[in-house]
Amino acid sequence: MTDRDVDQQLVERVQRGDKHAFDLLVSKYQRRLSRLISRFVRDSAEAEDVTQEAFIKAYRALASFRGESAFYTWLYRIGINTAKNHLLSNKRRAPTSTAFDAEEAESFEDAGLLREVNTPENELMSKQVVGVVQASLQQLPEDLRSALTLREIEGLSYEEIASVMNCPVGTVRSRIFRAREAVAENLRPLLETSKGKRW
Amino acid sequence: MKQKISALMDGELFEDESEVLLDQIKGNQSVRKNWAAYHLIGDVLRQPEHIHCDLSAKVRELMQDEPVLFAPRGRAIREKTRAFALSAAASLAAIGVVSWMSLQIGPESVPRMAMQSNPIHPAKAEILPKSNDYLMAHQEFSPSTDMSGGAYYIRTVSYRTDDIQPRNNPGNK
Repeated sequence: MTDRDVDQQLVERVQRGDKHAFDLLVSKYQRRLSRLISRFVRDSAEAEDVTQEAFIKAYRALASFRGESAFYTWLYRIGINTAKNHLLSNKRRAPTSTAFDAEEAESFEDAGLLREVNTPENELMSKQVVGVVQASLQQLPEDLRSALTLREIEGLSYEEIASVMNCPVGTVRSRIFRAREAVAENLRPLLETSKGKRW
Repeated sequence: MKQKISALMDGELFEDESEVLLDQIKGNQSVRKNWAAYHLIGDVLRQPEHIHCDLSAKVRELMQDEPVLFAPRGRAIREKTRAFALSAAASLAAIGVVSWMSLQIGPESVPRMAMQSNPIHPAKAEILPKSNDYLMAHQEFSPSTDMSGGAYYIRTVSYRTDDIQPRNNPGNK
């Protein structure tokens, strides 16, 4: 299975009436969709609302999704249209009017933009989360850190990582899991304590 | 369980495995939190500048007002359509091959074969005069007789007319 197959499997579950499967898709794509929408809607609170609206629109339209394109591409189109409609309804012009599609948007690097519009509270929280993840990663044994980095940053498959690290695929699977779990263990107190702040 | 979730989010489980896992974790809050934390870690590693607050709780809240979807299964329909198309194509191909083969034999070739076939002539065997007696004596074993079933029980006899005349008739003495 590929990442796209997992998405398709979750989509089909939603289409069969499983709302929990949609929750997993939201957890997976919320930051990427929010980053895309913040390219259009600069106010962070508005961008949040538009992201939520885009997810609800996607859920309503999911019955007609047939999987001809990848789910994330389809979701990003909905996100872009929702953001544009939001700007039109507020009589504002989209910053990058026509020549903008989902694929470009995903790869677009604009690090300063979200920082600029984030509230101080969110900014602090973001920094804390990033700090914990990066510190945890540095504390990991070399083999676990390499496996997780090759997977998350380089996007290699388990088989490719096994080839690079010269170990069985089962070992790669175990190392990636142990690395994630070690980082998540350090992250959980922060996420739990900031529940009220929607983290 | 957690290790399987980690593999699932990387697309490294088989389809049947992930179906079973998704059934098991359906509505499990602990699993959902792990899934969310693992994805957050990935997002932080890829895009540390774009980490923001978690929207999933708010979306989940909004989703409570949404109706449950019951749509046809996209992949299942596609697979069924594909299987049907393949079987239909195979059937058409088979019909085509059979039709082509029958056209190659052709309807006119049968009389041509009949015309070309040699007429059947009965074999001419010279029958010796002596063999007539033999044949007559063994006629009952001949397959050409109409009484082949009963011929086994029939005996061929011959007689002379003078044998019929009564020998003990005193008037003749």
